[in-house]
Amino acid sequence: MAEMADVDIRDLTIEYASGGYVVRPIDHLDLTVQSGELALLLGASGSGKTTVLSALAAILRPASGTIRVGDVDVTGLHGAALTQYRRHQVGVVFQTFNLVPSLSARDNVQAPLWAARMPARQARTRAEELLDRVGLRERLGHRPGGLSGGEQQRVAIARALAHDPPLVLADEPTAHLDYIQVEGVLRLLRELAEPGRIVVVATHDERLLPLADRIVHLSRPVIGESRPPERLSYEPGEVVFEQGARSDLVYTIEDGEIEIVRQRVDGTEELLALLGPGRYFGELGPLFGLRRSATARAVKQAAVTGYTARDFRDLVGSARIAEAIRRASP
Amino acid sequence: MWRVALRDLQWRRRRFVIAVLATSLVFGMTLLMTGVNASLYNEGRRIVAAVGADAWLVASGAPGPFTTSTPIPAAAADRVAAVPGVVRADPLVILHSTMRLPAVRDVNIIGAPPGGLGAPPLATGRAVAASGEVVADTALGLRPGDRIELSGRQLEVVGLADRVTYYFGTPTLFLALQDAQALAFDGQPLAVAIVTEGIPRGAPPGLEVLSNRQARVDLERPLASGTQSIAFINALLWLVAAGIIGSIVYLSALERQREFAVFKATGASNRSLLFGLALQAVVLSAAAAVLAVGIARLLAPGFPFTIEIPPQAFPRLLGVAVLVGLVASAAGLRRAVGVQPALAFGGP
Repeated sequence: MAEMADVDIRDLTIEYASGGYVVRPIDHLDLTVQSGELALLLGASGSGKTTVLSALAAILRPASGTIRVGDVDVTGLHGAALTQYRRHQVGVVFQTFNLVPSLSARDNVQAPLWAARMPARQARTRAEELLDRVGLRERLGHRPGGLSGGEQQRVAIARALAHDPPLVLADEPTAHLDYIQVEGVLRLLRELAEPGRIVVVATHDERLLPLADRIVHLSRPVIGESRPPERLSYEPGEVVFEQGARSDLVYTIEDGEIEIVRQRVDGTEELLALLGPGRYFGELGPLFGLRRSATARAVKQAAVTGYTARDFRDLVGSARIAEAIRRASP
Repeated sequence: MWRVALRDLQWRRRRFVIAVLATSLVFGMTLLMTGVNASLYNEGRRIVAAVGADAWLVASGAPGPFTTSTPIPAAAADRVAAVPGVVRADPLVILHSTMRLPAVRDVNIIGAPPGGLGAPPLATGRAVAASGEVVADTALGLRPGDRIELSGRQLEVVGLADRVTYYFGTPTLFLALQDAQALAFDGQPLAVAIVTEGIPRGAPPGLEVLSNRQARVDLERPLASGTQSIAFINALLWLVAAGIIGSIVYLSALERQREFAVFKATGASNRSLLFGLALQAVVLSAAAAVLAVGIARLLAPGFPFTIEIPPQAFPRLLGVAVLVGLVASAAGLRRAVGVQPALAFGGP
């Protein structure tokens, strides 16, 4: 295993285009994981867990911020250095196992070694050692179709360890497993987080919480706490909240005018709504723990009151929440 | 990564076997087409060689001995024999006719003076020595001693010659000059050409000297549109083969997108993935080419005339097949290059 230092993520923002709009699943994320730790990225679907893993695997390039894995600035890698990093520094256990159906368990583990031009005999020995380690000694020649979900997941873990990488990433490792299979996979992941190696697991499965040395919540609890309403004033052009930002409050307009706009990939904006006094906006994000899907900006001088999702629900009542969702502004 | 490509071939073997079978049929057809063209060329070469002449003299302006419609006096052979460079000169009559065996068969007829030029190498029997005798192509199924009727004339088969056919395998009968003149010119002492032993260093007035190659060109001219059509069909068949291979490789690339994404995400180079896909195309093409040889040999006897596939056509088929496979797999290769490793994570 290569010498391992910490994983250090600083001010990470990731954006990509989706449906013609800019989506920012990760907005100014900071995270440090130390050697030997197992970090859990916990969050609902769409909260950006997999996106962080992709960035750690040097597959997605962030819009801003830095990722350092040991001495390597992952965000600055290109060409051969990028290939070497993907090949030797990081091992990925994909969500749906992503084993190659035409290859046996042994060949699936050997494939990354073949890609690195390891001699055939050496690759075979290494693959068999790894499959032995994950308890699949007897299933070397089976293709994925002949393996259970848990066995496939273990083959995927063995494949991720092919080059003995210091960083192992696992995306929803329990998503397709029953509870008996989950147990074996959890034990394996925990064992991997040994001195010299870091394991980062993305999951929405809270059963994994006891496993973790470090937990990062990527989505806020839905319908959180109650606190006194905030009265806020905005000058014309001032932003109330920005597309892609974390959602916290639902706003009602006391005075002035607020425009809701969505940023397109080409840099232009689409006007979604122009709201005046008595209207509310920004309710979906806090209610469902989602990021802001549009930007709210004062057109004229405006005064708004911000409520937590819990207070907003209490204010309008459950029946009106459904109505609010129907005619929702972001 | 070549192992992954070969394992994938094994995994999808049913599809690849079907593709190989379909492609091999197409390749087999190209081999047969090549054989047809080669046969036409070889027929011309053989029949001209069978006459045994060094030069051919025809009426000035005539296209050649096989297609001329301008006869010349047979006695012109004497004038030609006197031209320097000529050792011997004989008149020749060439025509096309039919006979009953008992079904009507098309035959080519070449008439030459007994003992002169224009007598083919014999497979069995003897050469024509007098009027009323004939040497026949073995393709007619006759034997020495058989009697045939040709436009009301009774002839006796005295010898057989092998592979003396032209115009798509039409067999040739070699007759005495006067019998051929009777059939072609109602007995007038005419000829279509004077053939010589030795190359004349000039031509008597009204005659023109042609080489053996020019005589062959004359023979092949009426077949040009046929051979061009065959070449065109051959090109179309290559396109069909490319289409089969290309679609199989493209389909494979489409189905393996996530696999490619995983390989890229785990540090496999684009080049190694492309090599794997190209290898599949080459294996498919090469297997189809090898099978095509068997198919062509199996089907060739079913053609109404002898298909002569030149030996060099087999390695050439393999080479062109590999090239076609590589070109056809371009779309699949492009697809593989375009796969984003992020796909391995299921998005974005």
